[in-house]
Amino acid sequence: MEIDPVTNGNADAVMTESAPTITPSPPVPSSRLSQLTESLKLEHQLLRVPFEHYRKTIRANHRCFEKEVSSVVSTVGDLADNDWSKDVTVSRLTSLVSRLQGLKRKLEEGSNVENLQAQRCRARIDHLDSADVKNITEWNNTKLKRILVDYMLRMSYFETASKLSESTNISDLVDIDIFREAKKVIDALKNRDVASALAWCAENKTRLKKSKSKFEFQLRLQEFIELVRADTAESYKQAILYARKHLAPWGATHMNELQHVVATLAFKSTTECTKYKILFEIRQWDVLVHQFKQEFCKLYGMTMEPLLNIYLQAGLSALKTPYGFEEGCTKEDPLSQESFRKLARPLPYSKQDHSKLVCYISKEPMDTDNPPQVLPNGYVYSTKALKEMAEKNGGNITCPRTGFVCNYTDLVKAYVS
Amino acid sequence: MDLKSIKDAFDRVANKQKLSYSKTHEIVQMLSQEIDKALSILQEASPFDHRSILADVKKMFTEISPVNQLEAAEKELNVALTKYPKVLEKQLNTDISKAYRNNVEFDTHIVNQIIANFFYRQGMFDIGDCFVAETGESECSTRKSFKEMYQILEAMKGRDLEPALNWAVSNSDKLKQVRSDLELKLRSLHFLEIAEGKNSQEAINYARKHIAVFADSLPETQKLVCSLLWNKNLVKSPYSEFLSPALWDNAVKELTRQYCNLLGESSESPLSITITAGTQTLPVLLKYINVMANKKLDLQNMEQLPVAVALPKEYQFHSVFVCPVSKEQSSDDNPPMMMSCGHVLCKQTINRMSKNGSKSSFKCPYCPTDVDISRCRQLHF
Repeated sequence: MEIDPVTNGNADAVMTESAPTITPSPPVPSSRLSQLTESLKLEHQLLRVPFEHYRKTIRANHRCFEKEVSSVVSTVGDLADNDWSKDVTVSRLTSLVSRLQGLKRKLEEGSNVENLQAQRCRARIDHLDSADVKNITEWNNTKLKRILVDYMLRMSYFETASKLSESTNISDLVDIDIFREAKKVIDALKNRDVASALAWCAENKTRLKKSKSKFEFQLRLQEFIELVRADTAESYKQAILYARKHLAPWGATHMNELQHVVATLAFKSTTECTKYKILFEIRQWDVLVHQFKQEFCKLYGMTMEPLLNIYLQAGLSALKTPYGFEEGCTKEDPLSQESFRKLARPLPYSKQDHSKLVCYISKEPMDTDNPPQVLPNGYVYSTKALKEMAEKNGGNITCPRTGFVCNYTDLVKAYVS
Repeated sequence: MDLKSIKDAFDRVANKQKLSYSKTHEIVQMLSQEIDKALSILQEASPFDHRSILADVKKMFTEISPVNQLEAAEKELNVALTKYPKVLEKQLNTDISKAYRNNVEFDTHIVNQIIANFFYRQGMFDIGDCFVAETGESECSTRKSFKEMYQILEAMKGRDLEPALNWAVSNSDKLKQVRSDLELKLRSLHFLEIAEGKNSQEAINYARKHIAVFADSLPETQKLVCSLLWNKNLVKSPYSEFLSPALWDNAVKELTRQYCNLLGESSESPLSITITAGTQTLPVLLKYINVMANKKLDLQNMEQLPVAVALPKEYQFHSVFVCPVSKEQSSDDNPPMMMSCGHVLCKQTINRMSKNGSKSSFKCPYCPTDVDISRCRQLHF
């Protein structure tokens, strides 16, 4: 029954011939290095978000300086073209000088802010650069904390988010300030106030236009609906004026929605017609909050979902096996925990393309270094664990799952490829 | 991934930003100088008409055209600003949520509970408490236990073994059941402390009282007691290993493991295991999705991941047998079977090879053995 190594060697050759699809990936350092590189590629958001912030500041500052400079130039032009007295000219010029002084100060401040943001972008590139195979455990720990902060920010748990990032020194790697900006808008929307959301749209006009966003239109529609809801002669008048000014420009691209909403003038907020009743539902404000979050994430290059959910889904699937749901599942498996099981239930199972055996006794992998041995009753354990048991018990082996007793010499090696 | 090209692209942005800044500064400086100059001429009661002076300034401004200069500087900066995100998109995975199932919604309460539990088991009690308060979740049931664990570990850091020993003694039966040598580890450390700090007599007394009970682990106890021969000079003895801080680290590790285990928790945080597994899975999934972009791939409703992901050995919690011939995973209906030569196939494959039992033997696909079907037997991994 014993197989000599030569035969087994031949067998391996046969196997690779018959099954060329198998590409075993031995855990050599080079594969771990490429695995690391692959995992760093997941960090787009980490680099993109601070850059979008930086770019926004640069653009805003630049627009402001350009405006100031051109206004100074045109003021001088006006002065020269008009026939002012000398005194007036002197006083105008003096005020221009102090205006330029102010501009210099602003320039200084703006540049400081820009430099800070550039530093943050750099810190993140350096953080990616710092990851290597040796410190990967620590790096992954930091990554988990970053992912948790991202989750908390998206859920508006600001206090814990700041505490966690400060106590673990990752403030440069998370985007608390950016989310604070979003929170202002979200809070206002929750109080049924669109002003700050509209201001946000104005600030990011060009980018929103580029992505064909209709968020501003939706805000305007909601304001219109609120005027109709007020149900007074004055408010109807206002609603019509409002629609002429703010809704009409969207007519070219969003005529159907425009008609749908304007028709509420005829139906009023008390309507029972479902098609219009729905527009007056308070829930519409939550829809706006949701839409804002989406626009916000898109603008900054973030994923729509919290990173935590994306990583959890992938990780749970990769760990999900039918065994994880069994009664006596080892506690080391995250899926032995009820909470993880619940999350994993709707997700796909992992796929295995070759056998991986783990010794029931020692929980160590059974491979060529520690090959599996079969008891006469068909139960399989690792050589190391069985040897240890035999040494302690005078050569006897007791199967821990069935209580079956046999001698070490009764064992047979199994070849699992 | 080429981090260097990302760095270069960013350096370009930062450089252009500096350039644009100094250009703006220069222009503002120049404007204010010119106006200053004009003002001083005006105020010196010069013989020139103030209108002609103003006209000069205006002419000069039109010639220099500061607004155009600003625009030119911005244009250059803009090129760099547009390029950088493109480099990022090329080097990194732009949207990792492509591998996300949108039709699966996680229950926020469960996720929050998992996070709170994570903070407590990492010993971050302040943050855990803050999180629980902010989310309004109910108090975490494991908080108290982890608090106790960290008190024990904290004491061990200060070389105080008392709380650890108390815990190990009161759970000694359970520890024996899982064959943990935690108590011996702790007793050894205690013994070494006594031998180092006090006299040998006391150490011997301690050994008689507490170490003699570990007769099963003869080699360890022998070494311990023998180390007394080199009293206070262990560095040069064969037992210098006893001075290594690794002994303490191991004891701490074993205590954490056993403590978590008795709590019904894994020794490593399940959240960090899952996220690490996710970090290794996402690249594989994303690559697959990219390759399969043209084929209609219903990721949303798959029963099983479309690709295998090689997780590290320590994340392999269960035996998985995949039949090397049919490539199918074994199950209760299709269990693994060992042939007389020791090679293992699954039952369905063996049935197929023997033409459903119509042949009484067949050749093993891996070796020249002629396999007798009646001698194939089921394995339990």
